[in-house]
Amino acid sequence: MLRSALIFLLLILLVSVYWLLPSPVEKSALNIPATVSDSARQSSGYVNPCQNDFSEWREGFEIEGVEINPSPFCQPDNPYEIATFVKGVNNVSMQTLMQTRLAEDFLTKTDDLDGDGDPDIIRIKMEVIELNGFTPDGDYVFPAYDIAPGIQPGLWVFAPKTRGMAEKHFRSKIAHALLRAPSPVIRVEQGDKVYITLENTHYFPHTIHFHGVDHPWRLKNGKNNDGDPTTGAPAVFPGEKRTYEMQPRQAGTMFYHCHVQTDKHLVMGLNGMFVVEENRPNNWVQTFNVGAGQVRHPSVAVKEAYDQEYDLHYQAIDKKLATIIQQANDPRLVAKRMNRQYNMTEASENYFLLNGHSFPYTLRDSMVVVKPNQKIKLRIANAQRSAMAIHFHGHKAKVTHFDGVPLLPAAQVTRDVFEIAPAQRIDLNLQTENDGLHSFGPGVWLFHDHVETGITTDGMAPGGNISTVVYQDLLDDMGMPKIREEPVNRYFNKNYYAKKNPVWNMGDFKQLLGDAGMLEVNYFRLIMLGLISGLIAAILFFLVRQPSGNGDQE
Amino acid sequence: MKKLIFFFLLFFSQLSFSAMNHNGMTMDEKGMVMNSNPDTLPKDCKKISEDVHFTVHAGHKYAKKFNGKMYAFDQQQWDVKPCSRIKITFINDDDIRHQFMIHGLPGYLYPKGMFHIELYGKGEKEGFFIVPSQPKTYLVHCEVPQHMEKGMKAQLKVAGGDQDLPSIPGLTEPVTPDSYEVSWNQASWAILVLSVLVGFAGPFFLLMRYKNSK
Repeated sequence: MLRSALIFLLLILLVSVYWLLPSPVEKSALNIPATVSDSARQSSGYVNPCQNDFSEWREGFEIEGVEINPSPFCQPDNPYEIATFVKGVNNVSMQTLMQTRLAEDFLTKTDDLDGDGDPDIIRIKMEVIELNGFTPDGDYVFPAYDIAPGIQPGLWVFAPKTRGMAEKHFRSKIAHALLRAPSPVIRVEQGDKVYITLENTHYFPHTIHFHGVDHPWRLKNGKNNDGDPTTGAPAVFPGEKRTYEMQPRQAGTMFYHCHVQTDKHLVMGLNGMFVVEENRPNNWVQTFNVGAGQVRHPSVAVKEAYDQEYDLHYQAIDKKLATIIQQANDPRLVAKRMNRQYNMTEASENYFLLNGHSFPYTLRDSMVVVKPNQKIKLRIANAQRSAMAIHFHGHKAKVTHFDGVPLLPAAQVTRDVFEIAPAQRIDLNLQTENDGLHSFGPGVWLFHDHVETGITTDGMAPGGNISTVVYQDLLDDMGMPKIREEPVNRYFNKNYYAKKNPVWNMGDFKQLLGDAGMLEVNYFRLIMLGLISGLIAAILFFLVRQPSGNGDQE
Repeated sequence: MKKLIFFFLLFFSQLSFSAMNHNGMTMDEKGMVMNSNPDTLPKDCKKISEDVHFTVHAGHKYAKKFNGKMYAFDQQQWDVKPCSRIKITFINDDDIRHQFMIHGLPGYLYPKGMFHIELYGKGEKEGFFIVPSQPKTYLVHCEVPQHMEKGMKAQLKVAGGDQDLPSIPGLTEPVTPDSYEVSWNQASWAILVLSVLVGFAGPFFLLMRYKNSK
């Protein structure tokens, strides 16, 4: 009798437990929580928009006889490196070279083969550098490279051969300016004999395939030269080197990338733009444009037709792929996880980079700075997995080349959205004549991919590849666009991209559109739940101890 | 004539960059040696206690004896007396850049506390440094990204050193070790079952015997 009563009670108690069970989210009809105040947030996450490290580099220079255009950006390229990229290490003084982080054997320019006043044998050495890689020595990445505030995906890049420390400063963990995304733009002159040596400093095999650049599949010495390890020579393994040779007969904006496990290695960042400039007399071209962006020493042919030149390199990162190299140190584990466990057909793109940065860091070095009535040559490469639709606010540009090949005049259409397939390059003529067609007048005009995923950083907007066409009068002394302070403070913030800050946390609306607070725990229900659970346990214990059928045998 | 002058200029400019000494650094197209110091004593040393000579090889082949590494030096630790003068002959067996970079030396003798030999490819270079008297462990590594991480790390101990640095291949544990799969097989399952039976049976029989004896 007692037993049956207890079992009945047990059932009732179980039902009430179900009713009392706590939940992370509860409906609240009248007791509406207040807005979380800013002071309740743990850290500000604020990042200095412009560190203004090398303000003196923004001016125009003449170094080693090389004319270097002014570069008004927050992070201008080092003019001594530009001079070395133009002349080659063999034609600059030790004083100039000491102002750079370049290795003495990384670039030589010799032999004026066609007698037109510029060197035609170009020897380049490239390394493979991992950014934001794993370290067994602690919970951090090395060398650190932020694509946006607090965002450090694992990346691989080709880099010009450097020397010395990998960090920016002694005792810093931040990569110095030559070790960055994207892989640098390589520039040669049409007809140059180019020897590019890949020195594989990485722990996986790699190659370079020169996509669209005129190069022989097999060299006269019988060596394979296409960089594809399936149809040609084996990949360049760690600690090894290989020299690729070419003498491009056609000019144009081309591409290069690693062809080992291309789906992964290209997306990890082993791709860059390769520009063949038209042959002209006395045409010393800037062999590298590290970080892409403004070309501070444009070629003779570009100067004939344009006031300025910019390289715009777009890439996208899959965070699942990028974190593989940050989760293990053993190369065998990394190889297995990347090659056989990761499945690219189930992958997505999370980070969208223009010249190695996502907004707002694109404002530091990847804007297009213009003056009225200029013609600007934009070379654009889509190194993403997905197609792009580049859109310019306030401007309609004219497309002049597809994949390095000039279009007939009738085909050079003027548009404000340009579709670019993966690996495709287009050259645009951006004019800043205020005629209501080419330009709507001065401004801080955005330009970005209009496939909307591209303007996010892992889904957080505004981010991704957003940048601006900015008229020079609208730049401040540090090269940042003159915009309201409030958005600058909001977006130069690690917490914003960590999705911790409400998007419209401003003014009167801080309270109206901030984060709703949390409900208090209902302690009455909590205590009831505890008491009932204890009672259930006691009844169960009692029932188990009593042999069935008889209540009080012992 | 123009061409001739051009080649002439190229030739001379090439001469100008080979083997120059600059701020404690000698560099050429093969590599560089930074802060080599064969004669200036650290403040706390009255004289050089002994001359030692280490030949250090670097390359991916030296990582073969360590599981899960890619690059290494041929040795992972060197021990010297206080106030030793150390000559390093650094040999690179790979076709890529490697460094012998040592940190933590007194900054008044070695800018940034570093002594550094770098080789841009196969080859060798040598340099000297004199260590202070106090017991200390100095980090030796190659700082090309992922070379130290993948094994090219060692330590120099003066007077027995003051610690062991982490993640030195074959010598010390990493701070953040990797995880590996465990090879569970039929035998290991059988051993587990057997252990459970033994663990049960032993006390069971003991208890039975105790009960019976009562």
